[in-house]
Amino acid sequence: MSWEVVIFYLLALVSILSAGGIVVASNPVHAGVFLILSLFNTAGIFVMLGAEFLAAVQVIVYAGAVLVLVLFVLMLVDPDDLPEFHAGRPVQRVVAILLGVILLLEVGIAILNRTIVGARGNADAMTIEFLGGNVQAVGNVLYSNYLLAFEVVSLVLLVGVIGAIVLALPERLGERVRHRRDTISLAHARGVDMALPEGVRGESPIPVPGARREEPVAEATRELIMTRDPDSYTDAGEPGGSRFRPR
Amino acid sequence: MDQPIWLTFIVAFILMNVLLVGMAYMTLFERKVLAAMQDRVGPNRSGRFGLLQPLADAVKLLGKEDLIPKHADKIIFYFAPLVIFVTAIVRVAVIPFGNQIEIGGQPVALFAADLNVGALFLLAFGSLGVYGIILGAYASANRYSLLGGLRAAAQVVSYEIILGLSLVGVFLLSGSLSVRQIMLQQSAELQVGPLTMPNWFILSQPLAFVLFMIAAVAETNRAPFDMPEAESELISGFHTEYSGFRFSFYFLGEYINMIIVSLFAATLFLGGVDGPGADRYWGLGVLWLVLKVTVFLFFYIWLRGTLPRFRYDQLMGIAWKVLLPLVLLNIIVTAFIRLIGNGQIF
Repeated sequence: MSWEVVIFYLLALVSILSAGGIVVASNPVHAGVFLILSLFNTAGIFVMLGAEFLAAVQVIVYAGAVLVLVLFVLMLVDPDDLPEFHAGRPVQRVVAILLGVILLLEVGIAILNRTIVGARGNADAMTIEFLGGNVQAVGNVLYSNYLLAFEVVSLVLLVGVIGAIVLALPERLGERVRHRRDTISLAHARGVDMALPEGVRGESPIPVPGARREEPVAEATRELIMTRDPDSYTDAGEPGGSRFRPR
Repeated sequence: MDQPIWLTFIVAFILMNVLLVGMAYMTLFERKVLAAMQDRVGPNRSGRFGLLQPLADAVKLLGKEDLIPKHADKIIFYFAPLVIFVTAIVRVAVIPFGNQIEIGGQPVALFAADLNVGALFLLAFGSLGVYGIILGAYASANRYSLLGGLRAAAQVVSYEIILGLSLVGVFLLSGSLSVRQIMLQQSAELQVGPLTMPNWFILSQPLAFVLFMIAAVAETNRAPFDMPEAESELISGFHTEYSGFRFSFYFLGEYINMIIVSLFAATLFLGGVDGPGADRYWGLGVLWLVLKVTVFLFFYIWLRGTLPRFRYDQLMGIAWKVLLPLVLLNIIVTAFIRLIGNGQIF
C-alpha cells in the first residue's frame, strides 16, 4: 500500500466521521465545526485527485466564508431557544429519509455510469497539460461551454444580494434611526454611557433585538452631582476658599 | 522536481523553525521600535540589547497556570489556539526563498512546495485562521470574548474579499496563480522610455498594492484594525480567558501571520528575492527578501505606534463603501489594459 492510499483513506475516514458528527452533534456550534472539518478533508481528497483549484476554492468559499457566517449566527442563538434534539414532525422525518435514499441512488447511478460508459468529456491529463494546467482548463470550460449556466448562477447570486439588502432596509427611510438601535450592533453607538444612571432601568447598552427601549439611550446621560467641593480634596483651594461652592 | 521527498521535509523543517525564531525576535523588534517611538529604552535587561528577552517571555508563558473557565466549551477551548497557529505556520510552504540551488551535486529547491494555486492556498489558510478566533471566543463563555469573536468574523470576511480581489490584477498580468511563477516573472526588466526598471508588480499595480496592505493589516487584526481584541473596550476580546501557553499560541499565530503576510506582499509585489546580485548568489537573494519583509514589519509597528483604533462602523464602512469599489475598478482597468496589450480589442 503506497502512502497515497494511506492518506486517501485517512482523509476519507475523517470526512465521513465528521459528516456523521454534523448529524448527531447536539450543540449547533459543534455541528458547524464538524462541517468545517468535513469540507476541509474533502478538499484534501480534491488535492490528491490533482484538482488543486477546486480544493482551494472549496476551502476559501465554503470553509472560509460561508461557515464563518453560519457560526456567526449560531453563536448568537441561545441554546435554550433551540427546538428539542431530534424532535421534528414525522412528516419531516419521512421526507428526510426519502431524500437521502434518492441522493444515495443518484450517486450510485453516477458511479455505475462512469464504470460502464467511461469518462465523458476530454479532460484527460494530456489535454490539461496542453491548456497550461488545472486552473486554465477549468476556466476554459467554464467560460465557453457552460457560459449560460455561469451567467445564470451569477444572476441568482445578484438576486440574493439585493434580497438581503431589501430585508435589512427599514420600512420607511425615516425609521432608519430607530432601526439602527434595534439591530445588533457590535459597537456601542456614539454618546452611549456604558454605566447607566440609577433612574434608568438596568438595560444592557448593547441593543437587544426585538426589545423596545423606553427612552433613547443618548438622553440617559448622568448629571454631575457633587456632595463636596472638588477643591476640598486638594489643598489648592484652602486659603481663600473655593470658587465653586455647592448650594 | 528531481529531489527526494526527505529533502523537501528537511527544507520545510528549516523554514518552520526559521519562522518561529523570526517570530520570537519580531516581538523584541516590535518592543524596541515602539520604545524608540515613545522615547523609551525598551527591554534591555536580559542579555545584551535585550536579545534574550523572547526566550525569557517564552519560559514565563510556559510556566503560567493554564486556566479554563468553568462554563467553557472544553474541547473547542483546547484546540482553538492550535487552529490559528497551524493555519498560520503551514502557509510558509508555498513561499519561495529562491530558485533551485545545488548543494554537493544534489539539487535543492528553496521552497517546500510549488503549488500551481499557491496564492489561493495562502488566501485559503488565511481565511481558516479566523476560526481560531471565533471558536476561542465562543468557547470562553464570556460576553466580551463573544463580542470580539463576532467582530473578528465580520471584519475578516469583509477584508478577505478586498485581499483576494486586490491580487486579481497581479494574476491577470502574470497569467499564473503560482507564487513562484509570479516571483520569477518579476526578475525581468521593464523598459519605460529611457528608464530600466525591475518588472515589480508594485510599479504596474500600485493601487492593488495599497489596497492589499490595508486589507492585510485588517486580516491580521493589527492596529489600527485591532477591533477583535480592542483592550480598552473588550478587555482583549477573544483571548480574555486564555492564559499560559494557550495564550502564547494566539500570540504566535498573530505574529507568524504578520510575517507570512509580509513575505506574501514582498513576493507578489516587490519581486521576492529579486535584487542586485540575487541571480548569482542565492544567499544574497534571501537577504533581499528578509530586508523587504523587515520593511513591511517595521511598517506594521509604525502603524501601531501612530494611529488610534478605528471605530467599528467606520471599519466596516471603509471596507464596503471605499475599498471594494476601488478594488473592482482596479480589476476592470487591468483587464482592459491586458486585452489592449494582447491586441484583442481596438
